[in-house]
Amino acid sequence: MEKVIILRYSEIHLKGKNRCYFERVFTVNVEKSLKGIKHELRVISGRYLIENFNENSIDEILSRLEKVFGIHSFSVAYKVPSDLENIFEAAKTVCQPYGTFKVDTHRADKTFYLNSPQINTEIGGRLLELYKELTVDVHNPLQVINIDVRENGSTLVFGKFLKGAGGMPVGTSGKGLLLISGGIDSPVAGHMIARRGMTVDCIHFHSYPYTNMQARDKVEELAKVLSGYTLGTRLNIISVTHIQEEIHKKCNGEFMVTLLRRFMMRLSERVAKKVGAQCLITGESLGQVASQTVEGMTSSNSVVENLPVLRPLCGFDKDEIIERSKKIGAYEISIQPYEDCCTVFLPKHPVIKPTLKSVLEEEAKLDVEGLLKEAMSTLETITL
Amino acid sequence: MIYLDNAATTKPDCECLDKALKYLKEEYFNPSALYAEGYKLNKELRSARENILKTIADTQKFVLEFTSCGTEADNHAVFGGGKRGNVVTTLGEHSAVYSTVNELKRQGTEVRFAELNSDGSVNIANLLSLIDDKTSLVSIIHVNNETGAINDILTISREVKAKNSKALFHSDGVQAFGKIPFRLTQNIDLYSVSAHKIGGIKGCGALIKRKSLVICPHIFGGGQENGARSGTENVFGIKVFEYAATKKYACISENFKKVEEIKSALWAELDKSLFTRIDSGNSSPYILTVIAHGVRGETVLHEADDLGLIIGTGSACASNEKNRYSRTILACRIDKASADGVLRLSFSPENTVDEARTAAQILNKIVSHRKNIMA
Repeated sequence: MEKVIILRYSEIHLKGKNRCYFERVFTVNVEKSLKGIKHELRVISGRYLIENFNENSIDEILSRLEKVFGIHSFSVAYKVPSDLENIFEAAKTVCQPYGTFKVDTHRADKTFYLNSPQINTEIGGRLLELYKELTVDVHNPLQVINIDVRENGSTLVFGKFLKGAGGMPVGTSGKGLLLISGGIDSPVAGHMIARRGMTVDCIHFHSYPYTNMQARDKVEELAKVLSGYTLGTRLNIISVTHIQEEIHKKCNGEFMVTLLRRFMMRLSERVAKKVGAQCLITGESLGQVASQTVEGMTSSNSVVENLPVLRPLCGFDKDEIIERSKKIGAYEISIQPYEDCCTVFLPKHPVIKPTLKSVLEEEAKLDVEGLLKEAMSTLETITL
Repeated sequence: MIYLDNAATTKPDCECLDKALKYLKEEYFNPSALYAEGYKLNKELRSARENILKTIADTQKFVLEFTSCGTEADNHAVFGGGKRGNVVTTLGEHSAVYSTVNELKRQGTEVRFAELNSDGSVNIANLLSLIDDKTSLVSIIHVNNETGAINDILTISREVKAKNSKALFHSDGVQAFGKIPFRLTQNIDLYSVSAHKIGGIKGCGALIKRKSLVICPHIFGGGQENGARSGTENVFGIKVFEYAATKKYACISENFKKVEEIKSALWAELDKSLFTRIDSGNSSPYILTVIAHGVRGETVLHEADDLGLIIGTGSACASNEKNRYSRTILACRIDKASADGVLRLSFSPENTVDEARTAAQILNKIVSHRKNIMA
C-alpha cells in the first residue's frame, strides 16, 4: 500500500478564465516548498496528488505544506489497485476501531463492477464485522472513510481532512513591501497580506550604533519566519541614524517619531519602486501607540505619492495580534528585548495628534531630500 | 585591534595551549579508567589540582574541586553552603551569585543584601550589621567585576567569623585570581576561580574549599572530584588552566605593576571634561570603569568596535538582560543618566601603554562627537 498526499486548493475555482494561471502559480509554490524532498506532484481533476516520496519524510512534507497558501485542505491517503480486497485492506488501516463511522465512495471509474452505494455497503459491512466497537452513523459520524475509485485502475482511501493555510497562492496578487520593525505586529501584517496571494519583500530601518547587531539579527529571524510562508523574501535594510540625529538636533523632540515615520515612508516608496513593489504594508493598529492615531497616519501617509498603504491590523486588538503572532511562529522572536530604532531618542511626551501644518513646519528645518539620498546610499539587501 | 575587555575573557595563552594539546590529540583517555593510560591522566589531574591550589593557598589546609566555570563554582558554594537560616551577600555580586541567592530566596531561605560604597565595594559596617547567629553563608565578591573595587576579604572574613564563627564565608574570586597578590586564610571557606580570565580556556573553573569542610554535591554521577562534582574531567581545559595559573603567579607582581601603568596612562589621556571614573583608591589595576556623561555606553562600544577598539559596558554576561541599567552601578548610587554611559576598560599584561593612549584618544573622539549630536 503506497502512501500519497491529496491536496485541495481554495478559492482558485472562483477564478473563472484565470484559473489556469492560478493553478500554475500554485503548482510552482508547492514544488518550491517541497524543494530537497524526493516526490512527484500530479494534477488530477481539480486536486493534486503527491506521491513517490519516502514514507519517513511524510512529517516534513506535511509541516511544509501547512505553510503553503492556497491549500484548503490535505489528506494522507493509501493508493491501492481498484479491487475490493485491496480497498478493504486500506480501509482497515485508515479506520479507528471504535466509535461511529460511515463510508463515502466516489466512483470516477464507471466500469468498476460495484456502484458507490454498493461499495459503501460492502466495505462498511466488512469493517463492522471486523471491529466490534464500531457503529454506523451516516448523519453525524466521528469518522468518515473516503474511497475514491479513480479511472486509472487505482483507488485512494483516506480518513481525515487536515486544514491547510487557506488564502491564495503567493505570487498571484502582485508584490508588496512590508515595513518590518522587530516588534510583534509587522510580521503578522506581512503574513496576512501574503495569505491573500501577495509576494512580500521587507524593509527594515536601523540606527546603528544606537542599536546593536542583535536587533538586526532579530529582524532577519522574523523575515525568515515570514519567508517560510512566502517561499522566500528579500530584506532591505537602511540606516536612519543620521536622520534621527538631525531631527534630534534641529526639531522639536515631540515630533521625533512622527517625522521619522515620514522619512521611513518616503524611503520605503523609493525602495518599493526599485524592487517593483506595488504597495506598502505596515503593522499599524489604530490607536496602539502615539504615532498610530488617524492623525499620525495622515501625517505619514501624505508623503507616499503613488502607492496604496495596506494596514491589515488596523482593526485588531493587541491580544488578537499576539495570538496570530504565536500561530505563525514569530512571537518568541518578537519579544526578545533588543531595541529597535524607534526607542532611541524617544521623547518623554510624543505628540499624539499632530496637525499636518505643525509637522510640515518642523520638517522644514531639515534637508529632507539630502537626508533621503544619504539614507538610500546605505541600502543593503539580503535574500532569505 | 586593541582588546580592552579582558575582564570578559582573555586571549588564551598560546604557549599553554600548545603544551596541553597532547591531552586532546594523544592522551584522550578517561582519567577514571583503570588501565595505565587512564591512570596516568588521573595523576596528571592530581598535579594540576595541586599546582593551581598552591598559587593562592596552603595545600594542606585547602582542596580544589574542578568545575565547568566560575558560575558553577559559585552555584555550588551558594547552594551547598546557604540552605539554612539566612544568607548575607552584597548588591554588587556578579549574576553567578546574585541570581543564585535569589533562587535560594525563592526556595524559602532569607537573603540579606549589604549596601555598596560609591566605588562598588561593600559597606562593611552595613554588612556586619546584617549578620546574626542564624547566618549560614556570607558571600562577598573579591574584585567587583563591573567597577574593579577590591573588597578586603581577609579583614571582612575575620570580622564575619568574629560575629558568627559558624557562618561559612565564600568569595567569588574570578576577577582577582592570577591578578591580585593574595593568599587564602582559614577564615575563608570557599573561593571560586575561573580559567578563561587568566589565559586559560572557557569551560573550566574551580571551587576552592577549606579541607575539613563538607558541602553537599550538586552534580551526581560517577563520583569524580571526590564525589563533590561528578562528570568526566575536562583534562585539556584543566591542564591549560594549570599552565596558565602557574605562569601568571610566577610574575604576578610585575604584571600588577604593568597593568597599573596601562590603567593610569589611559586615564591620564582621557578628556576629563567628558569622563569621570567610578573607582576609588583601592581598585584592581586590571579594570578601569568610567562614565561617559550624556551618551550611551553601548553606542560608544559599537563605534569603538568599528574603529578597532574593543571595550565593555558593565558586565558582559548582563548585557543581554532586559534591564537596561546595571544593578551594581545603580547600587553605587549613580543616577540613571550616568549609568547609561558606563564603560568598562579591562586590561591584561599583554596590552601596552601605547595601546592605552590610542584607546583613550579614540574614546575622546567618539564621546565628544556623540555628545555634540545628543546635546
